[in-house]
Amino acid sequence: MVNRVLARKLVRDLLQRKGALIALVAIVAVGVGVFAGMSAVYKDLDGARERYYSRHHFADFTVDLKRAPEWTVEIVERLPNVRAVRGRIQQSVLVDLETRVQPLPGMALSLPNERRSIINGVMMRSGTWFSDDEADEVILDYQFAQANHLEPGDRIKVLLLDKQHDLLIVGTAMSPEFVYLIPPGGGLSPDPAGYAVMYLPRKFLQHSSDLNGSYNQLVGLSYDTTRRALEDTLVLIKEQLEPYGVTNTVPIQDQPSASILRDELRNIKTTARIFPVIFLGVAALVLNILMRRMVAQHRVIVGTLRALGYSSWAITRHYLGHGLIVGAIGGISGAAFGWWLQGAMLGLYRQFFAMPGIERHFHIGIFAVGCAIALFFALIGAIRGSRNAAKLEPAEAMRPPPPEKGGRVLPERIPFFWNRLSFQWKMIFRAVFRNPFRSSVSMIASAVATALLVASFSMYDSTYFMIDYHFEKSSHQDLTLSLRDPEGMRSLSEARGLPSVSYAEAQLDVMCDMRNGPYHKRTVVTALPRNTVLYTPLDRNGTKVVMPAGGVILTRKLSEILNVDVGGRIKLRPLIARREEVMAPVVGIVDTYFGLSAYCGIHYLSTLLGEYRVANSLLAATYPGAFTRSLMEQIRRRPKIISITERLRALKQMDETMGNFMGTFFFVMVLFAGIIAFGSMLNTALVSLSEREREVGTFRVLGYSSGQVTRIFSGESFLLNGMGIVLGLGLGIGIAHLLSLAFNTELYRFPAVILPSRLAASAALMAVFVGFAQLIVYRMIRGLQWLEVLKVKE
Amino acid sequence: MPVLLKAAGIIVNPSTNNVVVSVQSVSKIYRMGEVDVPALRDSSIDIYTGEFLIIVGPSGSGKSTLLNLIGGMDRPTSGRIIFDGKDMSRASDSDLTLFRRLQVGFIFQFYNLVPTLTALENVQVAVELVPDPMDPMEALSMVQLEDRADHFPSQLSGGQQQRVSIARALAGNPSLLLCDEPTGALDIETSRQVLGLLVNLSRNLGKTVVLITHNGAIAKAGDRVARIRDGTIASIERNESPTPVEEIRW
Repeated sequence: MVNRVLARKLVRDLLQRKGALIALVAIVAVGVGVFAGMSAVYKDLDGARERYYSRHHFADFTVDLKRAPEWTVEIVERLPNVRAVRGRIQQSVLVDLETRVQPLPGMALSLPNERRSIINGVMMRSGTWFSDDEADEVILDYQFAQANHLEPGDRIKVLLLDKQHDLLIVGTAMSPEFVYLIPPGGGLSPDPAGYAVMYLPRKFLQHSSDLNGSYNQLVGLSYDTTRRALEDTLVLIKEQLEPYGVTNTVPIQDQPSASILRDELRNIKTTARIFPVIFLGVAALVLNILMRRMVAQHRVIVGTLRALGYSSWAITRHYLGHGLIVGAIGGISGAAFGWWLQGAMLGLYRQFFAMPGIERHFHIGIFAVGCAIALFFALIGAIRGSRNAAKLEPAEAMRPPPPEKGGRVLPERIPFFWNRLSFQWKMIFRAVFRNPFRSSVSMIASAVATALLVASFSMYDSTYFMIDYHFEKSSHQDLTLSLRDPEGMRSLSEARGLPSVSYAEAQLDVMCDMRNGPYHKRTVVTALPRNTVLYTPLDRNGTKVVMPAGGVILTRKLSEILNVDVGGRIKLRPLIARREEVMAPVVGIVDTYFGLSAYCGIHYLSTLLGEYRVANSLLAATYPGAFTRSLMEQIRRRPKIISITERLRALKQMDETMGNFMGTFFFVMVLFAGIIAFGSMLNTALVSLSEREREVGTFRVLGYSSGQVTRIFSGESFLLNGMGIVLGLGLGIGIAHLLSLAFNTELYRFPAVILPSRLAASAALMAVFVGFAQLIVYRMIRGLQWLEVLKVKE
Repeated sequence: MPVLLKAAGIIVNPSTNNVVVSVQSVSKIYRMGEVDVPALRDSSIDIYTGEFLIIVGPSGSGKSTLLNLIGGMDRPTSGRIIFDGKDMSRASDSDLTLFRRLQVGFIFQFYNLVPTLTALENVQVAVELVPDPMDPMEALSMVQLEDRADHFPSQLSGGQQQRVSIARALAGNPSLLLCDEPTGALDIETSRQVLGLLVNLSRNLGKTVVLITHNGAIAKAGDRVARIRDGTIASIERNESPTPVEEIRW
């Protein structure tokens, strides 16, 4: 039963401290908001993903082959753990758009002639299905069509092998395969306008790809979809289809879109767990301090209430009520913030992921749990103060509290240090050491806020470091021309002779199987001439990797997977051409940020293919002044070129997406750090001030100005927060390194970039927060009725 | 100079030509919520160099208000308070702060020592701001507490704490020592010691001491006694032969 008078007292107690409480409630609200918002985003995004995958039968595995007759599909279908498979054609294409100077790279995939439920099916967005299995019609990827203003009824020029086709666009569609479409060689962000995914009638594509009655890619569903089971299944499939030239097998876990979506979902989940713990933890600690001070100030009131016959349980309940209200207001405002955050985040993901059904749903359970967590933390925060209040015996409570204990503190044992301090600093040190709990909370909150800033800066800088490393430091070409098959060095001379090309270099990238005893990995080996200038793989120190005449250089991560060191040997077998297996000496190991590459000399790898010197991509530098029409004309005439990538275009694309995202991310993090720092600083400073009002009065009488008194009191804040900031810088650096470990994947290794200027900026931002809190303290000191304070005996 | 003259009995208190502070027709009205409460009405008094002035009155009579006005802790609603030719009732906040810092030493009923500072450090607090202060240790020895310099307030008795606060008030070499019920929280024997100390400061060191109390017995120790009642100064008497502190009966 709640006593109505006590309830009114409770509300007035809280209103008296509304400034400090608002700061505290904001911390709770951020914790609850991030929990509820991100948990809801997880649910909505994961739900959309599951619906999308199951409705369109997204494949659990993919097998690339040279060419297999259609009847072999039945062999695969009978293998264990294979639920269903479909053979299809996948073909690189070049698309000619009137709106663009250069042809765009793309990929054509075959679809059956009638619309039915198939593995890796598509979701139609507009138009109709093909009229016939052999019709020269195309269904375009919805995003590509949108970005290039194409719609059903338009025609599009597509270069397939060496023949250009004028295709009628009959529809647009989306597929779970391309939720996050990164064009080959396009970096880390999607570019829907620059890469043309399209679907063609099966027979038409078979015919124009020279694959009549065959397929070159197998997509399938499994019963057991764990990575291990899929890999076992893929080994079986590979054995069965070996005669047809299996070039690559991919379980769903490694499918680019699927793995990026999965990683993102995992990040969301982690955020939803870590943030609330940090924020609500700090809020509970601060509330603890606030409540204990409130109870100390209410000492006589508590005694009076007890004398009037209130039970100690009633007192406990009354003060727990304070916590409950802070928790409830924090929980409710947190839920509102979470609801907003959910909408904002989903809006962001709608831009990132080409996936239908990313919509905000109200998950009442999540919001209820969020509020419950807030109440729980708030009760924990209030429990000590409430117990202190309940423990007071009425007679004892009516007497003034025992005088503050004197005695030496730790730093006084170091006379050399202590004797050099002014009395102000002696006061500050004693106050700090005699309130170990409050001092620790101040320091922890500052450290957490600083660490948040440092880690956010580091994320930001690391991302740009990666972009810079990839696009600027190691790559210098303007254009990359990919060739359908490895070609001799004549193609290089040809490329060098193209209009506006100033220089060109050859590169050979071949998918290879690498084996060291039981350790195995399939990855791309990049072969380069000895002294390249356009593409210069770098190690982590920025040193150029020099291609050896014989043997291979492995990236650190790959050497770990293969369990091999310099001086060891691995079995190396290219997956194209002669596919001869050799024992390749490992002549070096480099630390890089991207991929699982291996490097070798172009002659060495060519030999393995049974050639003298071949290349399958040509890197070109052009004269300043962009690419001319005549260059594109020339390229269009060369059917061996299957794609063209402009480095700067990819860089710009990346910059735009990341810039926007990182900017928002960073702003939010600074805001959160500010809330946690300011909320705790203000509360601890005000509590400390209220305990020492009498000292303020004394100093004022002695002729200290408000500013001078503030300086004495701020010293404590500056000392504690200063130490907190120093700790936080260390903590932030640690977190940045942990993050870099967490992002140590096969796709990329995230460096922990920590710039001294960013550490300084983090500390400076924190100093601004401290300064702002002190400004409020200064105003309080100036407004304090110090004369009154001195007259009353505590 | 006045110290020597006084010691030699050449000038007797009060010396009419040496006014430290002149309170002229001062009123103070407090606004308590919706009502005006007059705390002091049209009161005038001059305070002379080196005298021991005791202001006696029951609680609520306005004596603390008067002391606060003299000490520059508050401004009157009307009237003038002249210090060194300057009207303190019109002074700015920072001027009042400066006045308190350089000219006034305050002694409170509840000592108001900083609990986190030792006795010596509590004295240093006052010395810090003043251009020509006393050595804090010397100030402590004047109140016979040099051997307690390293003690914290919680380790000192009430009388000792009050002596520290006297040392703190003295250390800045102020023109005025203002004492607000300095013995109010002390037992009789300790009160006598503290009072003796204050008398001593006035008689032997020439300090101007103003003390307020509700205890009429103490009044006999002063050079002059002002009686205050209902917010006005009812009488000001000169005490030709102040009673020695040891003889005062509480």
